[in-house]
Amino acid sequence: MRFKLIFILSFLFSNLSFSQEDLFDLISNNESTIYPEFFFKGTKIINSQSVEIPSEGVLQFMIQHRFGTLNSGFYNLFGLDNSQVRIGFDYGLNKWLSIGLGRSSSLKAIDSNLKFRLARQCSGSVNFPFTLVFNTSVALKQFRFSEINKPNFIFLDNLSFTNQLLIARKLNRKFSFQLTPSLLHYNILPINQTFHDQFSIGYGGRYKLNNRLSVNFESFYQLNSDNNINQLSFGLDIETGGHVFQLHVTNSPYMIDRAFIHETYDSWFEGDIFFGFNISRVFTLQEK
Amino acid sequence: MRILFFLLFLVHYNCFTQNFISKTGEITFFSYAPIEDIKAVNKNVSAAFNSQTNEIVFKLDIINFQFRKKLMQEHFNENYLESDIFPTSTFVGKVYNNDSLSNVKGLLTIHGVTKEIIAFGTFNILDNSIKLSSSFKIKLEDFNVEIPKIVMYKIAEEILVDIDMTLLKIL
Repeated sequence: MRFKLIFILSFLFSNLSFSQEDLFDLISNNESTIYPEFFFKGTKIINSQSVEIPSEGVLQFMIQHRFGTLNSGFYNLFGLDNSQVRIGFDYGLNKWLSIGLGRSSSLKAIDSNLKFRLARQCSGSVNFPFTLVFNTSVALKQFRFSEINKPNFIFLDNLSFTNQLLIARKLNRKFSFQLTPSLLHYNILPINQTFHDQFSIGYGGRYKLNNRLSVNFESFYQLNSDNNINQLSFGLDIETGGHVFQLHVTNSPYMIDRAFIHETYDSWFEGDIFFGFNISRVFTLQEK
Repeated sequence: MRILFFLLFLVHYNCFTQNFISKTGEITFFSYAPIEDIKAVNKNVSAAFNSQTNEIVFKLDIINFQFRKKLMQEHFNENYLESDIFPTSTFVGKVYNNDSLSNVKGLLTIHGVTKEIIAFGTFNILDNSIKLSSSFKIKLEDFNVEIPKIVMYKIAEEILVDIDMTLLKIL
């Protein structure tokens, strides 16, 4: 009798010993690390670089436009008659490095940049609060071949250099914020400027309205500026399948680092506002 | 008597409570649409099976699906599956064995939505391992995955899911 009882009991015991929760426990892994991705829709917040870099083997073609000032009247169709354009390509060499090349009609400048991703924001078994990207770029002011023969022509005079550390944090799925301490060096000074080395701190962010729309802002605070004004821009990013459309209003008509950071002379308060857009399209050149 | 009890317990434990697990299973999904065929594979699928109760569970991280095109992977995570809100997908079910074709019935959770499904496949229990494979279809609208009209010809409404994995016995 007793034997039977124990037999039944032990049978019950072994039957009840496992449930679905226990099965999930067997395969749970607590050591995973979460890396937030997609801080911004594009590789640029508005004018300046964001921490996003093109994926490995992906070529991004970007066309940027800035029109004239909105207060230029109907005669200029509120600025649409004057347009500046930058055509640029960015290519992801590997997971943490991209190279870019572009040409602007304003200032007739050719620019090239390298973006290195140094660290990624992560949480879990490994924790790091920011994504860090180092951006270094050089811009060449174009010249005519006839100028080369002039006695006072020095090629290096036409160059300017930018070094930036991009520090970004995705605070939640909608809001990302970026700080951009920047150092800009002019080989030869433009009119109105007195410092060869200029320091500034850029800041910008984006807020996602839904999965395909976000609003962005961006500004640069200048630490040793002369008489130029801090650039301030607001934008709307629209993502369709393969394109990102970025529409914005800004007080800088330029699309290269030196100019939109340190050569802004137009003020929001006087209505010198430029409408512009960036359109980017990616091509996967190297599939996995 | 105590020894007998212990022995019985041991016998039961060994005979009935056998667990098989894997953390490196493969799940591939295919979308066949007029303009574009899309394929993605996840090679870090976990599964556990209890041979006593015939219960089986699957778990995977959405972010581990690898696409050939990085942009598709971004849209998949950001716009469709929203992997930051719903990071994992799970299945909890029971295996019903027949001679040639097995089937599994249970609850599949994707994108925060749970739905009962039945899938057919092979389920071979060997000495120390189980080899299983299955193929079934799911509808995106069942799991609240919205496809905008503009990409309707690029993404199929029905997705074909392939599972292939080997579970190993653990003590």
